[in-house]
Amino acid sequence: MSSILEGFSQALTLILHLDAELLGIILLSIKVSGGALLIATLTGLPLGALLGLKKFPLGGFFVTILNTFMGLPPVVVGLFIYLLLSRSGPLGFMSLLYTPVAMIVAQSVLAFPIVAAISHSAIAGVDPILRQTAVTLGATPVQVSLAVIREARYGIMSGVMAAFGRVMAEVGAILIVGGNIAGYTRVMTTTIALETDKGNFELALALGIILLSISLMINTALYMIQRRGMVRTNR
Amino acid sequence: MIRRFTLLAALAAIVLSGVVVSTGLSASAASEIICSSTTSTENSGLFGYILPIFENKTRIKVKVVARGTGAAIEMGKRGDADVAFVHAKEQELKAVEEGYFVNRHDVMYNAFVIIGPSEDPARITGMKSAVEAFKKIAASSIFISRGDKSGTNTKELAIWEKVGIVPKGQKWYLEVGQGMEKTQRIADEKRAYTLTDMGTWLMTKDKDKLAMMIVLEGDPALFNQYGVMAVNPSKYPQVKYKEATEFIDWLISKEGQQAIASFKDSNGNLPFIPNAK
Amino acid sequence: MSLHLTTSNIFKSYNGESVLKNCSFSFDQGGVYVLTGPNGSGKSTFLRICSLIECQDSGQIHYVSGGQVLDNDLALKRRITLVLPKVGLFNMSVFRNAAYGLTIRGIKGPVAIRRIDKVLDFVGLSHKKVQNARTVSSGEAQRLGIARALVIEPEILFLDEPTASVDQKNTGIIEGIINTMKQDGKVTVIMTTHDRDQAARLADHLLVMKDGEILSAPFEKEKI
Repeated sequence: MSSILEGFSQALTLILHLDAELLGIILLSIKVSGGALLIATLTGLPLGALLGLKKFPLGGFFVTILNTFMGLPPVVVGLFIYLLLSRSGPLGFMSLLYTPVAMIVAQSVLAFPIVAAISHSAIAGVDPILRQTAVTLGATPVQVSLAVIREARYGIMSGVMAAFGRVMAEVGAILIVGGNIAGYTRVMTTTIALETDKGNFELALALGIILLSISLMINTALYMIQRRGMVRTNR
Repeated sequence: MIRRFTLLAALAAIVLSGVVVSTGLSASAASEIICSSTTSTENSGLFGYILPIFENKTRIKVKVVARGTGAAIEMGKRGDADVAFVHAKEQELKAVEEGYFVNRHDVMYNAFVIIGPSEDPARITGMKSAVEAFKKIAASSIFISRGDKSGTNTKELAIWEKVGIVPKGQKWYLEVGQGMEKTQRIADEKRAYTLTDMGTWLMTKDKDKLAMMIVLEGDPALFNQYGVMAVNPSKYPQVKYKEATEFIDWLISKEGQQAIASFKDSNGNLPFIPNAK
Repeated sequence: MSLHLTTSNIFKSYNGESVLKNCSFSFDQGGVYVLTGPNGSGKSTFLRICSLIECQDSGQIHYVSGGQVLDNDLALKRRITLVLPKVGLFNMSVFRNAAYGLTIRGIKGPVAIRRIDKVLDFVGLSHKKVQNARTVSSGEAQRLGIARALVIEPEILFLDEPTASVDQKNTGIIEGIINTMKQDGKVTVIMTTHDRDQAARLADHLLVMKDGEILSAPFEKEKI
């Protein structure tokens, strides 16, 4: 117990005297997860929208697949991307293994189904009357789709944030494809794992606290935006 | 509201695409090599000490990916590293023979020791032979194994082979699949014995408040040789063989050997003894 | 050039059940047309088909302008509009809801703002401009629906049961709005209501529907 309290106080000291190395680790975490999120959103949102707006013969099947992939084990994704990017793998010529780009790729794969599936359910859940309303006011099919997507924006945002939470907290995939190289591919979660292994619980705990704080900030922002958006209808 | 939302999204997109581009660019910078090594070597702090010296001299950046010895050699075999710095001589020589690596050299050594609870329930203290000690531990106590094909694990299994016992699956034998320091802590918690390397032991025993002690050291069977070797460029033409060779040459040079000799861990101990020929 | 609507021999059925049977009518004058009749008489379906939101099974919908029959394309659809009985409001401010029709037509800036302010003032919602549309009462929602339709300055405005789900006070306000439009004479209103008294109060031309047929048309107001 005392070691936990001691750890907390040391952790706070470390946070207050944020050194360049720690800052670099934090920034890389945000860059990698942010980049992954951007890619996942640019690909996942259109897919979710397509599945939510149009009827396909295999639409339901795709949604089931997406929902299943929301729970992809990071280590499996990591292994898969590793084999793909390895110099003896099919994409080895790109020399991407053990780079931040590889980490972004792995995390994009993890985030994509979450963004797509939650976007889909948010868009499919928009009241069909709104679609008709847009039509009655003279919207083109594209404008109708945009109106529906915009109407689902708070749901979509939850999906994006859920994905961000998942990739920020993820360690298995980025450890495998990033290699946890000091100053290059070392991020918060891999540092926590490493420092715990080394017995540097204070540093691990400090990073844990920072990680939690970032999650808390993001979720608070999300909650505030959503509270403004999810106004109860009086009718 | 909508306008603010779109604005925010656009801003995020611009910032993040910048991030992707910048990280993408830094990935392709020249004169970087990937060195596969072991967790114990990295955790000792050696690389943090010697690499800046090398990098300053040659402008070659060495990126260390730390894995268990087995995985570190495998990384080289797959061409995912340019150079391997590990401590499992037999495995290294075998991989060289198979043509995966070239230019292998001894670099330094440290010693393995058997550690056990301070109260030494199996009464190992005073014994001289690691094989005999293992036999006694098997008969009367618990042994914690790394179980991760690391150099330490490889060494441990070689001793069990000499003992003539297959420990895997026995009640008194626990494979934890963890790094050296964690394995030590597990041994401490379980009041059990384990094999560790002197470097890790010296660096962590006080910090981790281990109620453990060295019960056997000095047996030549517990010698831990570190070697370095380059990935064979004729197998993987993309590897940076020239830079890898430069790194190897430096490690075995007078200057590199001195750097290793002067490395002190955080407790002021000198864990590695250079022995390049 | 004024826009007229002629329907001929419209049939429609849902799941084998016939909803509209041979409905023919020519909306060739201005003013307020009211379709009335009991629930299930097919008046809403007829209105939706007339406003090109739904397709008939057979029969013809012809929009005529200056002697020319128009194609039922987007350009035509943007000259008419329908206000649904349960108004669908976007999750944004009252103002931006009212602006939607202009936004999708690419009309922006001071021109748009002037038109939006005018229609919101017309339906008495100027004071709620910045409020989220999801928080307004059902009567206000209905009025906002009408304002949102009027802002695009339609030549024909279809209203489907505009007062079915609102209280008496708002019913009065909405009838006032329809009466004002009637006096202005700029837009042809075609609406449904199941309230015969309301039909009598508002109609220039009254159509009674029963069991999917237009009974006799147009009734003289006095005969109701």
